Amino acid sequence: MSLWSRKAQASGPVADLDPAPPSGATRQALLRLAGREATMLEGQVAFLQPELNQADSLVGEASRTLGESLNTLDRSVQHQHRLAAEVQVAMAITLEGDAAAGEGFDAVSNSIMGTLDGFVQNMLEISQSSMQLVSEVEDIRTRATAMEEMLGELSEIAGRTHLLSLNANIEAAHARRFGAGFAVVAGEVSKLADRSSALSATIQEQVNGTRLALERTDAHAQTIASKDMTVAMASKAESQKLVQALEDSNLRVKGLVEQLEGNARIIREQVGHVVRCLQFEDLVHQTLQACLQELENLQSQARAWRDFESLLGSEAEEAGALETLHDALGAIEASRVQFRAVKSASLEAGDVDLF
Amino acid sequence: MNRCILTVDDSSTMRQMITFTLKGGDFEVLEAGDGVEALEIAQGKKLALIITDVNMPRMDGITLVHRLRALPEFKFTPILVLTTESDASMKQKGKEAGATGWIVKPFSPEKLMDTVNKVI
Repeated sequence: MSLWSRKAQASGPVADLDPAPPSGATRQALLRLAGREATMLEGQVAFLQPELNQADSLVGEASRTLGESLNTLDRSVQHQHRLAAEVQVAMAITLEGDAAAGEGFDAVSNSIMGTLDGFVQNMLEISQSSMQLVSEVEDIRTRATAMEEMLGELSEIAGRTHLLSLNANIEAAHARRFGAGFAVVAGEVSKLADRSSALSATIQEQVNGTRLALERTDAHAQTIASKDMTVAMASKAESQKLVQALEDSNLRVKGLVEQLEGNARIIREQVGHVVRCLQFEDLVHQTLQACLQELENLQSQARAWRDFESLLGSEAEEAGALETLHDALGAIEASRVQFRAVKSASLEAGDVDLF
Repeated sequence: MNRCILTVDDSSTMRQMITFTLKGGDFEVLEAGDGVEALEIAQGKKLALIITDVNMPRMDGITLVHRLRALPEFKFTPILVLTTESDASMKQKGKEAGATGWIVKPFSPEKLMDTVNKVI
C-alpha cells in the first residue's frame, strides 16, 4: 500500500491532510514521488501476478493429477475387495440338501467326518456280527460233535441189531421147520440193521462235510472280524489327516483374506485423509485469488498515481490533482474485499451444522 | 429410492472429491461449476440432494439456494452448503435462504456421507 493511501486511510480526506499549496519545488518533488510510487507498485504487481498465477496453476495441476491417481487407487482397492469376496465365496462351498448348507468349508469338513464316523460305526457293527458268527459256528460245531457221538451210538445199535438177527437166525435153524417164520423176521431185522448202518455212514459223511464247511466259515469270519476294524480305523486316521490338512489350509486362506480386508480398511482410511487433504487446492486457489484481487487493487493504485503524475505534468491545479488522487484511492479502498474467504489454518475437517 | 445428487462448485478438484466420496455410497452425482449451470442442470430432474459452494462466479451459492427454493420441485429438496465460509452471519444467510445444513471445508468423507444419509 502506498504512502498516500495509508495517510488517506489514517486521517480521512486529503484536503484535511495537507491544505498548503505546494511550491514549484514541491510540485517537482510530488511528481518524482508519484512516478516512483507508480513504478514501484507496477513493478511489484508485475512480479507477483505471474508468480501467483503460476502457483495457482501448479497447485491445480498437481491436485488434478493426485485426484486421478486417487480414482485409480480406489478402483484398484475395489478390485482387490471384489477378489477377496470371491475367495470367500469360493470357500463357502454349498452342500446341496444338507442342513449345514452354506456354512462353507467347516460344514464340508464336519460332513466328511460325520460320514467317516458312520462308516466306522457300520464296520464296527459288521465286526461284531462277525464275532457273533464265529460264536454261532462254534455252537454248531459243538452240536455236530454231539451228533457224531449220537451217530456212533446209532452205529453201535445197528451192530448189535445185526448180531441179534444173526443169533435169531441161528436159533431159527435149530428150531428147523418151526423156526422158518422166525428166520424171516431175523432176516428183515438184519436188513434194517444194514440200512441203519448205511444211513449212519451217510449222515456221518454229511456231518464231516458240515464240520469242514464250518471250519472254513469260522476262518473267514475271524479274518473279517480282525480286518474290519483295522481297515476302518486306518481309513479314518488317514482321512482325518487329509481333513486336518484341508482345515489348516482353510485357516491360512481365511487369515490371508482377513489380512487383505484389514489392509483394505487401512487404505480406505488413508483415502479419506487424501480426499480431505486434496481439498487444499480449493483453499489455496481461493487464497491466491484473494491475493490476485489485492494485486489488482495495487495495480489500480499504480494507475491512480500515474494519473496524478500526468495531472501534475500537465500543469493542472495541485489541489485538484490531489483531490482526484484521493478519490481514486478512496474508491479502490472501498472496493477491497474486507474479509478472508478462507479462514482455515489447517486441513482438519470443518464443522457440520444441520439447521 | 432416488439417489441422484447435484454438486455445485467452481473448483473441479472439489467436485472431483465430492463425486468420489458420494459414488462410494452408490449415489449418482451430477456436477455444475456455478449457480447458473446448476439451475440449468437441475431443470426437470428429480434430485435427492443438492450440495453447493458459496463463492462462485456468475451466481453464488446463497442466491442459488434462494432460486431453488422458489421452484416448487425443489421446495423440500435437502440443500447442503459446503464452503470455506464459517462466519455465523454467513450461516444465518444460508439458513434464511432455505439451506438444510452448513458444512465447512475441508470435509471429511466419512462426515459428509453421514450428513448426506441423515438429510436425504
